[in-house]
Formats: sequence, structure tokens, C-alpha cells
Amino acid sequence: MPLFLVVIWKLSKIYNMAAKKLITRADWEKKLNDVKVGKEDMNKLVMNFLVTEGYVEVAEKFRTESGTEPDIDLATITDRMMVKKAVQEGNVEDAIEKVNDLNPEILDTNPQLFFHLQQQRLIELIRNGKVEEALEFAQEELAPRGEENQSFLEELERTVALLAFEDVANSPVGDLLDMSQRFKTASEVNAAILTSQSHEKDPKLPSLLKILVMVQNQLGEKAIYPRINDFSTAALEDGTI
Amino acid sequence: MSEATSQAQSPPEDVIDGEEVPTELDTVNNSGGFSVIRPEKLSLLYPSVNLHGHDVGVVQANHPAPSKRLLYYFEIYVKNVGAKVGKLIVMDIMAIGDDGRLYRGHAKGEAFGPTYTTGDTVGGGINYSAQEFFFTKNGAVVGTVFKEVKGPLFPTVAVHSQNEEVTVNFGKDPFVFDIKAYEEEQRAKDHSKLDNISIQQDASYRIVRCYLQHYGYEDTLKLFNIAAQTNLSPASDDRLNDQYSTYALNERRNLLQLIRSGKIDDTFSMLGQLYPHVVQDGTSAICFLLHCQKFIELVRDAKLEDAILYGRTEFQKFKNLSGVDELVKDCAALLAYGDPSKSSVGYLLQDSQGELVADAVNAAILHTNSRVKDARLCMHSSLERLIRQVTACYLEKSSLEWDQGEAFQLRRMVESGKKG
Repeated sequence: MPLFLVVIWKLSKIYNMAAKKLITRADWEKKLNDVKVGKEDMNKLVMNFLVTEGYVEVAEKFRTESGTEPDIDLATITDRMMVKKAVQEGNVEDAIEKVNDLNPEILDTNPQLFFHLQQQRLIELIRNGKVEEALEFAQEELAPRGEENQSFLEELERTVALLAFEDVANSPVGDLLDMSQRFKTASEVNAAILTSQSHEKDPKLPSLLKILVMVQNQLGEKAIYPRINDFSTAALEDGTI
Repeated sequence: MSEATSQAQSPPEDVIDGEEVPTELDTVNNSGGFSVIRPEKLSLLYPSVNLHGHDVGVVQANHPAPSKRLLYYFEIYVKNVGAKVGKLIVMDIMAIGDDGRLYRGHAKGEAFGPTYTTGDTVGGGINYSAQEFFFTKNGAVVGTVFKEVKGPLFPTVAVHSQNEEVTVNFGKDPFVFDIKAYEEEQRAKDHSKLDNISIQQDASYRIVRCYLQHYGYEDTLKLFNIAAQTNLSPASDDRLNDQYSTYALNERRNLLQLIRSGKIDDTFSMLGQLYPHVVQDGTSAICFLLHCQKFIELVRDAKLEDAILYGRTEFQKFKNLSGVDELVKDCAALLAYGDPSKSSVGYLLQDSQGELVADAVNAAILHTNSRVKDARLCMHSSLERLIRQVTACYLEKSSLEWDQGEAFQLRRMVESGKKG
């Protein structure tokens, strides 16, 4: 590139940077100090986190120590946690029974969830070496669902394929036997129960952090200002060009 | 906008959330002569007099559309479409001008969307989040126009066929279009943009732990540490943080519980034992807050004579302290009411006042930690610092973008998702 053009290009880059508003640390701290934050709201945010994560005892204690009321009935958390636990331990039949006790509509209105629970049942039968029972279960319970839905069929085929391999762990479908598969199904049930209780399934605190990431980037396009990069310490770091 | 539709009986508010909002048509600045505004200033008529074909009656609202929100919207009811069936023209609805000056003269502008006729309700709105205008007809969106919105915009109504008459609704009456649902849709879209952002796995857990440590919720903290141990990876910088936040955790917890249960005398004696220099200066802000709280507790227990005596002895010590007058006045006012909790100073009897005092004592003790280089780090929990940062960023961003868009409100986030 001719020198002339290079100089112009570099000057325009500097000009663009200069076009950003520069906010000093002192000015920014003053703006931060002007923000009013309600203790009550922060308490609610923390309570929401504890409740959504299912930490019942912690939530109860927090309610006592801080006087914050949880936004859902804590008793329903225990039920939900028991369902989650049952799935995580591989007791899928037990989990299904508990879900229906809690609210029969959950599985009725959630065919994908129901299919995944049944699939997990199948996985557990295969894991325990109950081959005949597994095949019967697959044919009677899961195959009809597979006919209705292409993706169910594919997942069913993957699951049944577990039976075909000698060294299952190293097979292409080995991941189905991982504990992570149980945890995945458990999370799905957890979310469905929360939704049925008209509760948002995700805690709000992580959203707040994501919003912070987003808005800092957006503001960063127009201004140079101190940012928070480490959320654990929440320390201000001077803005860099 | 929703705030304005709350009561059809009361007159429309001219100012909502600190911003002026359109409430009626502007009778002073209009294109004069080509249209007639009815006395209630919400209807516009194009006279039946035979005017030149290009003469348009254009009228603006009395204030520009407010911008510190997600959306702005208003509707026009076509009482009589007049001689010619109209085509929705962008310029009919919004005066698009950087200076907001009235658009005069010929009806220029792109023809846009379906036609409208007598009995139709058409609406125009600004979507600040998506940076676009949107138009509706009889309750359904008929189109959007992307336009970078800069500067104040005046809702504008125009009539240009004989006997055309329209009525405008700036929110006094319910809208035909479900604006609330549209707003929710936009919010959901904005929220889904967050899905692609990833954050450190255990960040939330650390923040919650720091919060519990900071405010002395010791028992909760103990249970939390056990419950969350699978999710919290031990990191070397944890010990650094813990130094700050777990400092004097037990003492703070005990003191905070005392304040929360109204035992102020016990609080003073414990502070005197453990942190004498915090209460050494009898005229400090901390002492003031504690004495006020004691006063409040006496009133709460209906020991009014004791309260008066106490107030007389203590409050005069603080007359040189700046900023205390309001609080002293409000505290004293508690005495005037039979049932103070229902009065305008009733807030003092709520938990939030005790929390304020507890937080101040908490911060004072955290300050005594000699290991902390930057005293400011003790003042607030990391959660609070994060919230302040988000709020400040939004405000700054808005001010750099022509004051548009909603401010970040923690309250709204905390209350969202609640049904029934």
C-alpha cells in the first residue's frame, strides 16, 4: 500500500478512537455512587437463585436470617428436588410417578420430556443387562412414539444400538450410558416442573451477568470507561483503547 | 404508554416518569386553515370546502414522543374517510424531522401498507429497541420501517380528503392494538440475544457467597457452602476475597441480628466492647442512625414518653451533623400519629429502616479490617457493585444515544416472570 494511503488509514483509526467519549475513573465512580440499589431487591435476587437451584434448606435459612419471602412455595422445591434426584440416580419409574403426583399435566403437555424419560428407562434397563425386558419395553412403549416423530425415532434407534456393541463405552453411542445423560434428563424434568409452576426456569442472576457483558460491550463502542471484567471480585479496571 | 391507560376517568398525565408525553393535538402550531381541530383537541376534520388537491391538513401532538422506554404508540380512529379512500402514508403518522419541526406543504412520502377507510383504527409507533417504526391497522401490525431514530419525534395526524375526520388516542382510552403483548414480544427478543453470551460457570455461586458473607448471613452461608460445593471450584483468589468478606463474620452476624430485632442498647454495648472506635465519636453518623433506631423502637413499643425523653437527650447532639434534619423530623413526626405505621412516616417502622442501620454498622466494621488496602471494596458486596455498573452503563449508553431506551431497573427484573 502506498505510504500516503497507509498514513490516511492509520489517522482514520486514531480519529475513530478519539471519537469515543473518554470517561475518567473519578467521573465514572461518581456515576456509580449515584445509583440507588435496594437491599430488598438484592435479597430477592439471591432468594430467586437459591430457589431455582433447589437449595431448600439454604432458602429456608435465608428467609429466617434476612426476612425475604421466597417467590414460590418452598415445599414444592422439595418435591421437585426429589424428582431430579430420582432421575440422577437412575430410578426413572419412580421419578415419573412423582412427577405425575405433582402435576399429571406436566408429562401430558410435554411429549418430548416424556419420551426422554422413557428413553432413560430403556438406557437403565440395558445398563443393568436386562436385554429381553429392554427390547420388550422399546417395542411396546417407545416404538409407537418413534412412529409419530422422526427425531424420536432416531434417538430410539441410537438407544437400541447400545445392545449391538460388545465394548459399549467405546462405541458411537457410548455417551448414552454416561452419567451426563442422566443429568441432562434430570435438568429437563426440573425445567418442566418449574415452568408448570409458573416459575421461570432459569435463575435471574446469570441473566444479570449476561446483561452486564452485553451493555459493557455496547457502551464500549461509544466510550472508554472503567469496566468490570472479573465478576467474582467485581473490581473496576481502567478502560483501555 | 400503559401507565397512561390506567384510568379513563382521570385526566391524562402530561408527564410520565419525568418525560413529557403527548396528550392532545397542538392548536398553536399547525398548518392553519387546512384543517379544523375540535375543542377537545383530539379530533381533526378536513373541511368540505373545495381546497386545492395537494393541500394537506397536518397537525402535531402537543409534546414529542417520550424516548426513555421500549416503545411509544398512539392510534387514530378514522371517523370518516372522506371523499377518497386513503392510503397509509408514512408521513401521515410521524413527523420525521431531526428538529421535530412541523412538516408543512405537500403530502410527500412513500405510500405504505394497506388502505384505510371509515371505521378503521390505524396506529403508529416507535420501537426504540429495534430502532424502527411500526404501523398497525385494526389491531394487527401492517408493517415496519427501519429508521435510525434521532431526536424528538412528534406524533402527527394529517387529513387531506373532503370531510375526512379522524380522532386521535394518545392513551387516554384503551388501544385496539395489544401494545402490551407487542412490548412483551420485543422484550423476549431482546432477552434471547443473551443466549449467545457465555459467562463463567461458577460466577453466580461466588457472587451469592460473597453477598452472604458481606451482610453477615452466617448460618445461610454455612448451608450454602455445603450445598454448592460441587459447583464451586476452589480457586486461589477465593482466599483473597474471603479475607475481605469473612472478616469478623461472626461478630457482624451477631450485631446485625441485634439491630434487626430492635435491641439497640445491646448493640451499643457490644460495639463498645468489640469495636470501640466505631462508636467512640458520639456525634458520628453511625451513632446517629443507631439512636434514631432506638427512638423508632420505643415508638413501636408505644413507650411514647420514653421516646420523647430519649429524643430530647440524644438528637441535640447531632445538630452539627449535616443531612440529618430530614430523618430527625420524620422520626419526631411518628409521635403525632395514633397509628404511625399508616402515616407518611410509616416507612420508618418497616424492616427496611432497620436494614439500613444494620448495613451502615456492617460497613463500619468491615472498614476496620486493616488488611484491606482499598476501603471502598468493603462498602458494597460484589453483587451491588455489579448492579451499579449495569445501571450506570445503561444510563450512559442512553445519554449517548439521544436519551432513548429503558433504563435498567433491578426491581423490574426481580418482579418479572410472576404470574397471577
